[in-house]
Amino acid sequence: MTKNNYGIAEFSQASEQLEHIEMSDLYPLPAPYDKLEEQPGWQKIKDAVKQDYESSLDDTIAVGIPKPKTEAEAEKYVAAFLEGMRKLFTKENNWTFLQPLMLTMEHCAKCQTCNDACPIYEASGQKEIYRPTYRSEVLRRIFHKYLQPGGKFFNSLKHGDIELNWTTVARLAELSYRCTLCRRCAQTCPIGVDNGLVTHELRKLFSMELGIAAKEIHEKGSVLQLQVGSSTGMNPLVVKDNMEFIDEDTSERTGMDIKTPWDKEGADVLLLHNAGEIMAWPENPGAFAVLFEAAGISWTLSSDLVGYDAINYGLWYDDVQFARVALKHAQIAKKLKVKKIIMGECGHAHKALMVIADRIFTSEFNVPRESSMTFLEEIFNSGKIKFDPEKNDFPVTLHDPCNMVRLMGIVEPQRRILRALAPRFREMTPHGVHNYCCGGGSGFAIMSPYNFRDWRISVSGRKKMQQILNAFKDEPAEANKYVCAPCSNCKGQIRDMFEYYGVWEKSRINYGGLVELMVNAMVDVKEPYIEWGMH
Amino acid sequence: MNLLYVLSYLTIAVFILAIAKRFIKFAAMPAHLRWELYPVAHEGKKSVYGGSYFEDTDWWKEKLQQNKLNELTVMLPEIFLLQGIWEHNRKMWLWSFLMHHGVYWCAGMAGLSILYITLQFAGWGYSGVSSFVDLFIAVTGTIGLAAGTIGTLGMLGLRFFDAKMGRFNSFATYFNLFFLLAIFGIGFINLIAGVDIFRQTVGFFGALLGIGFSGYTPGVILFLTLAILFVLYLPFTHMTHFFTKYFTYHSVRWNDEPNLPGGKLEKHIGEYLQYKPTWSAKHIGADGKKNWAEVATSEVLKNDKK
Repeated sequence: MTKNNYGIAEFSQASEQLEHIEMSDLYPLPAPYDKLEEQPGWQKIKDAVKQDYESSLDDTIAVGIPKPKTEAEAEKYVAAFLEGMRKLFTKENNWTFLQPLMLTMEHCAKCQTCNDACPIYEASGQKEIYRPTYRSEVLRRIFHKYLQPGGKFFNSLKHGDIELNWTTVARLAELSYRCTLCRRCAQTCPIGVDNGLVTHELRKLFSMELGIAAKEIHEKGSVLQLQVGSSTGMNPLVVKDNMEFIDEDTSERTGMDIKTPWDKEGADVLLLHNAGEIMAWPENPGAFAVLFEAAGISWTLSSDLVGYDAINYGLWYDDVQFARVALKHAQIAKKLKVKKIIMGECGHAHKALMVIADRIFTSEFNVPRESSMTFLEEIFNSGKIKFDPEKNDFPVTLHDPCNMVRLMGIVEPQRRILRALAPRFREMTPHGVHNYCCGGGSGFAIMSPYNFRDWRISVSGRKKMQQILNAFKDEPAEANKYVCAPCSNCKGQIRDMFEYYGVWEKSRINYGGLVELMVNAMVDVKEPYIEWGMH
Repeated sequence: MNLLYVLSYLTIAVFILAIAKRFIKFAAMPAHLRWELYPVAHEGKKSVYGGSYFEDTDWWKEKLQQNKLNELTVMLPEIFLLQGIWEHNRKMWLWSFLMHHGVYWCAGMAGLSILYITLQFAGWGYSGVSSFVDLFIAVTGTIGLAAGTIGTLGMLGLRFFDAKMGRFNSFATYFNLFFLLAIFGIGFINLIAGVDIFRQTVGFFGALLGIGFSGYTPGVILFLTLAILFVLYLPFTHMTHFFTKYFTYHSVRWNDEPNLPGGKLEKHIGEYLQYKPTWSAKHIGADGKKNWAEVATSEVLKNDKK
């Protein structure tokens, strides 16, 4: 059942695979990435895996629910799903999103205006299941048929039919991980319906009622973070050890004496990094330390459990896990008596603590939170650090992390810095609040089970890849170029895409954060801070 | 006709009650977690590029400025020009624009008819003002019926022939459009057949308000009956977006109200944290006795399946 020859009702009809993507279906990339035969292609899911795990949606697996062994087990899943749906529409269980969810469920006009805004739908060659409206319509029909008064027959006739069975539940679990929650679709809806929210709520239902979630964001994500301190697995001792190494390395590279302050009570600023930076991109926390020290900021990191990792994966799939992490962050800031928390270069951490958590904090925990983009601009404008923009004399473009830009409205501070410090800065098209997701949003960047990495690179990240290449299309292939991506998850996705396509080798495009560019332009830092090459 | 009058009174009562019930349903829901989407129209100059107060240093120390007028500059083109569809679904725009304007202008005609009757009550029945209103009833009605007929026909064509839309259509999708087409179409046929549909419509409203009227033609009775039935049906459909859009925009998309210490929002949040969730996954640790605050501050358990 492929080639878009299915509707909504077919979603609940068991088949080997509902949708399939050929490489030739994918939205074309600019040269020299336009030759399909030169692309690595996709690994196929092994038959043994298919036998044991749910894989009937499309060519990949994100969640990997074990197939039920008996009819009774399958029915248990279905009953639990329906029970979860009921809870989703009660204020006791879902006061957090009840109003926007109900508004979305009851008012979609099915006009499909949102379709073309979705980078996954577009990049996949407009595959039916990836339409922003598809999963919402499945859920909407279940909602009307099984939860609303009026009877199944009448509601099916009125709103369209669907069967709630194991196939529907299993495919919905997977389909809730084929959307990056970038909410570009919601931006286009004239009525204000938010199909991105439906993905969020579906993930919640699966996690909070059935205990089903992508392993990387739950078990190895928020659970690990709450138990060990960080989803990277670093405990407080390890993180301090790693930062000590970063301090030494940064001091050597910059000629400055850098020593990260830990647990400094009464500091003005608690800086919260995504701990992934410390592991994968140490130059980023290093650059923050250089700038903060050079500007004379009173700052600290925290070595308390959870306090050194800004991530909050609950944002994407589970309100309780989300609240647990957010409360830990707030408690730590309170304990340290800091004046404010500064969010490092991590988009989802920005949105989690500054926006979403805002309405779970009572005054005791409501410590002011500010974006590093704003704070860095303040440092830049203070005149305490001398910069020489000519040191950044290479083409630079900016990736807008969805969480920070479209979903928080932090658009200009980073641009004002780039316009001043990167003389060859140019925008992507489109950009700002209309940007495309990197393709790694909502946890995808850290998810690589089975062949999911291939899917997120080839499909969900395709529009971003195209945008990046187009931003530099007039530059010679051999010239060094820089994608400024002030977000750890986005960097992870961009790194994986660049590796997959061999972007450094073919086009000399590098990526990194904003702080690295700032330090690179510092007059007092004699050697270039940015290291060119794939890393 | 008496039956139609009874139906009309009933419709007005049901419409008001159903809309009020729906409004209260959404208004009484808890203030959800923030879920805004930029541009947020009341951000003033920043809304031009989608910026927010988060761009300001120590934003919590300043009084937040909201430019409510700016919201109107977004909402009015959205309501009257269907700006969103123009930008993102151009092939639907013309038909949707005409269909919506069919409704707007016909609603305008109804409003003017009531104004005309009111003028009669006020003793201005044969004044210049009254004649002016009479003329406007004919103009708005003609525009409404013509636009509505063409628009709904176009929308039906799209729904039938556009592959993107086809698979999502339900019985209700077609029923709603055929219903609207029947109203606009019958009204329009009356009009081009030379029937004095507007005089009869004014007479109908007059009769509802106690001024006797006779002289209905069968075509206009059908038109009025269908229109009344549509008003009765409307509050129970997704077409209530004509007013719930207030919530989708003001309560969700543009709701950037921060939870400041000591504020009203904080008081509500304190209440919501007392709700007792019953989610079943073990890692949540909800038992129906612990409230949200207790669940959120409890230790995380391993991810055992339910």
